[in-house]
Amino acid sequence: MVGWEGTIALDKGTAARLDDRLERSALGDQFAFEEIVRQHQGMVFSMACHFLRDRSLAEELAQEVFLNLHQNLRSIKSPEHLVFWLRKVTSHRCIDQSRRLKVRPQVSLEDVPEPSIDATENDLFLSEMLRRVVDTLPEKARLVVILRYQEDLDPGEIASVLDMPLNTVKSHLRRSLSSLRDKLSRTLGEVTL
Amino acid sequence: MSRLDDELRKAFRREQPSVDFTTRLLERAAQQPAPKAPWWHRLATLLDPPKLRWVAIGVTASLLLAIGAAQYSRLHKVVINDDGKVSLAPPPQTDGDKNLVSPDQNVDRREVMSPKPTLHKRVVYPSPNHRVALARQQQERELRVEGEAAKEKLMLALSIASAALNDAQKAVHDDGLKP
Repeated sequence: MVGWEGTIALDKGTAARLDDRLERSALGDQFAFEEIVRQHQGMVFSMACHFLRDRSLAEELAQEVFLNLHQNLRSIKSPEHLVFWLRKVTSHRCIDQSRRLKVRPQVSLEDVPEPSIDATENDLFLSEMLRRVVDTLPEKARLVVILRYQEDLDPGEIASVLDMPLNTVKSHLRRSLSSLRDKLSRTLGEVTL
Repeated sequence: MSRLDDELRKAFRREQPSVDFTTRLLERAAQQPAPKAPWWHRLATLLDPPKLRWVAIGVTASLLLAIGAAQYSRLHKVVINDDGKVSLAPPPQTDGDKNLVSPDQNVDRREVMSPKPTLHKRVVYPSPNHRVALARQQQERELRVEGEAAKEKLMLALSIASAALNDAQKAVHDDGLKP
């Protein structure tokens, strides 16, 4: 399993600048904290938004994650650790939120409405279609897909973030992609994905 | 890489929250109580400058005190002779003192390097209570000796006075017998 130490390779200058920002932020510098938020808000918000499929809920969840970070800044050891921490906390909060509010009705793949227009002519439509199909996956499998395709993490890194065995991550990915391929090929007909 | 991968990357690309996201977040963060540092962090702050300087000064002072006490007890060791007299031992000879002995003084260097143990004296390093008791005993012995000397002087004075008195008595007696 891969730890947070090896997740991102930063050049020395960037790492030093980010380290300094973290240090100042931990000492109570609000400007440094604001810079950190602005740098990572896209990642945290997108994970929550893709998982919950609700922008306002996703914003609320992202705010809670950053408030949690504000309370735990002293425990963050490096910029790489910060990114790992944010992904981990966001993933866990997404699952908690989903279980608590039951915001997402359980829809089977077969119940996803068929598209009425040609997907190849409209990328936006295809993207929306993919998101809706991924939305039908179980929680952990959905997070695996989001971390794989939004954050471009390899299975080892995903296993580390989600505290999951590597083989489980691989099997989630394999089954999810197989389901997606089946559903989309049935929906889109001739188009091969 | 398949087309499905590409399409999934497009579908799940990052998005930005609303423009006032950061402002709202910072307002909420400002209302939060200040995070309490864990005990190990507070302990670690003891080593931050300038506290580090005070810790270093304290450690140095303690070391100097310990070394001074050790030196003092080494220099003030007590020697008890075979006749029971207590005396302070002279400070031990250092290596530098030994080096002062020149070879032309006909001193057997082996004796200097490894002196034979003295049979008449035993060296002990008493505790403070023991040292006080020994000093008291020595004081008593000295007082006893002084008392005996005074007694002898007194006896001598008494015998002289007695002799003088006898002489005077005899003289008076002799004068009474004369016609």
